[in-house]
Amino acid sequence: MNESTQFEPKIIAYVCNWCTYLGADLAGTARMQYPPNVRIIKLPCTGRIDFNLIVKAFEVGADGIIVSGCHPGDCHYTSGNYHARRRWILFRELLDLIGFDLDRINFAWISAAEGKKFQQIVTEVTEKTREMGPYSELYTTGPVELLPELPHTPAPPVTFADQEELQAQARKLLSEGSVKVVIGYGERGPVLVTRPDDCGRLVWNDRSTANLAMYLKRREVKALGPAAIVVKACDERALVVLEKESQLERKELHVIGMACEGLGAPKCAICVSRTPRFADCVIGQATAPVPDSQLTQDRLTQDRLTQDRLDALMQLSRGQRMAYWTQEFERCTRCYACRQVCPLCYCERCVVDKNRPVTIDPAPSTKGNFAWHLTRAFHLAGRCVGCGACANACSMGIDLGLLNLQLAKAASEYFGGYQAGVDLSAELLIGSFAKQDKEEFIR
Amino acid sequence: MSALISENKLRQLAAEWIGSGRRTIAPVAIKSRLLYMPLQSAEALSLDTGARPANTIKEFFFPKAETLYGYRVKGRSIELIEPANPEEQIILAARPCDAAALPVLDHIFNWDFKDDFYNRRRASTTVITLACTEADEHCFCTSVGGAPDSERGSDAMLLALGDGRYEVRCITAKGQQLFAGATEASTETGKAIAVPLRNFEPEKVRAFAVEHFEDPFWAEHTQTCVGCGACAFTCPTCHCFDIVDAGPMAGGVRVRTWDTCQSAIFTQHASGHNPRSSQPGRQRQRILHKFAIYPEKFGEVLCTGCGNCARNCPAGLGVLSVIREI
Repeated sequence: MNESTQFEPKIIAYVCNWCTYLGADLAGTARMQYPPNVRIIKLPCTGRIDFNLIVKAFEVGADGIIVSGCHPGDCHYTSGNYHARRRWILFRELLDLIGFDLDRINFAWISAAEGKKFQQIVTEVTEKTREMGPYSELYTTGPVELLPELPHTPAPPVTFADQEELQAQARKLLSEGSVKVVIGYGERGPVLVTRPDDCGRLVWNDRSTANLAMYLKRREVKALGPAAIVVKACDERALVVLEKESQLERKELHVIGMACEGLGAPKCAICVSRTPRFADCVIGQATAPVPDSQLTQDRLTQDRLTQDRLDALMQLSRGQRMAYWTQEFERCTRCYACRQVCPLCYCERCVVDKNRPVTIDPAPSTKGNFAWHLTRAFHLAGRCVGCGACANACSMGIDLGLLNLQLAKAASEYFGGYQAGVDLSAELLIGSFAKQDKEEFIR
Repeated sequence: MSALISENKLRQLAAEWIGSGRRTIAPVAIKSRLLYMPLQSAEALSLDTGARPANTIKEFFFPKAETLYGYRVKGRSIELIEPANPEEQIILAARPCDAAALPVLDHIFNWDFKDDFYNRRRASTTVITLACTEADEHCFCTSVGGAPDSERGSDAMLLALGDGRYEVRCITAKGQQLFAGATEASTETGKAIAVPLRNFEPEKVRAFAVEHFEDPFWAEHTQTCVGCGACAFTCPTCHCFDIVDAGPMAGGVRVRTWDTCQSAIFTQHASGHNPRSSQPGRQRQRILHKFAIYPEKFGEVLCTGCGNCARNCPAGLGVLSVIREI
């Protein structure tokens, strides 16, 4: 290939204002030559580099991306780069699952004194990307491998806690006036009971699968006054995260815990917490979590299949993974049921609803849907408690659970077995950092 | 006399349609749910009438993202790019409650402004319905003037004989054309054996909604609405839309997307004021629009009783659940 027809990659470099940009400046003033393929975009801090920008660069035609900021310990804002690093660790896993080419996203620490390193990295990334050729896999379509289907298993035989005891407890709370509303399950779906006489509407059965914590964020519900909420051990994890994120005053909430042996949902098969731990009262009794050796055959099969789906997807090629998600997201109508039912999607105004400027295409276009689902999943990184409400609510059957599971796995793997909403004393994963966070992917 | 077609022959026909480049849309089983989707092959066609597809056929007339035009900025001038004409499409095995929504949508897209995008798609589409043999707890077409074998909006209708054969009733010339020469004459006739329970009188719903505008009823029974658009987006008749621009200044598209009155920002003013400030008010709006506002203008209800709103509601609401409480 002669020089004139050689493929020239477009590289976008997101750099921080204080270190890498000055490094680039130094390279320039020192007359160090580097390929002109790089377009530098300066941002205040790596901590401020929105993950969507990385995806956006590919959308506008970048073949390679550099993300660079101050070395650990050198951040102009003390810890922006540490926070950024923690997010990158998780974000790379999400991008990998969706089928982005991680080899095209290059992370580096470059200080203001390292003009030479800037020159080197730009040169190397340009060379590498040139060899890789143009990035053509973005939102690719094609035949899609079928993942193993989750079998539809009936609810395991369980003994339910007493529905009447639940109703009595609710009646007592409402009569005393200590709470103004009981958020519970009704015959056809969630109910908000405000009068002692209506407590007969509360039920507890195998359809009590919704995570009612989603109602705590709703303005209409807040306006009703102090609330009591019916939770299972799995839902309770959302309350823990909400409390740690200062979204609820635990003292002002009365938590009615339901001991639960599983309601037949896929998540029930892998549940190890049967009895709520932080509830103000627990109704019914559940056996202790069953040790692995005693799991019934059914539960074992289901457990394996949940993981199998993720494993099967990860074993496909990058392009096939991307094609899989293109096909999944294609069905999205942007009804936002996934967001509305999530107890942890509580922003007053969601980023996708902001239109000055538009950051995520509000139309259900390919890129809009990718941006939306990446954003939804990643905003829940290290926060999602795996309640499965989003996937259940999706009328188009999009595999949202896989996105959440991948991030939960990464959180656990890279951050000492971290599980959101399990430990009241644990620091929140996003919003904190550790100096020894994984860093081998950063140069 | 009736005309019959076997399932095999029907699949052969579908394969021919696909082969001839016509977009052939039918229910397809995707992960334990049915969805109307363009068929890649005739084998993917599901003739199972047990469940209703989770989406509706409106998206093939009024797509969830319709490009109105593209634009490119060149120096000081702007070039507008017209979208391509819609391709010919055939919708096979649609449910009668989906087809019945088409004449309803026709009113909306033609009462003042004639919507070319909708009309062109409507003209280039043939709808073949499959009469229902089963109704589930959410079905209520008979309450709103429909039936499991209602021919409204259909160009042709298939009625199962129960042995893999179907009676074909051609209703329009378009339908006739598709089945010409493919059927056998017979004296047997198919039947829609689904019997949705007749649940309510639309007029009573209208009267209640209009007379109880400020009633605690709404807060009591619809407070649990989570404010998503699952009901509206899977409703065959809901038709509200938004228009958005996508793409950079240099060149992009203007797109019409679905919108829903259940979302808080639907009525949000630029000032920040929101005249419909609470979720029960938004639920009331949905019932009012379907049973009072639309009928006042066009003389029929804006609902075909498909029950998708209840089937897809994460909070177990939906038109029927709310009406039941009235």
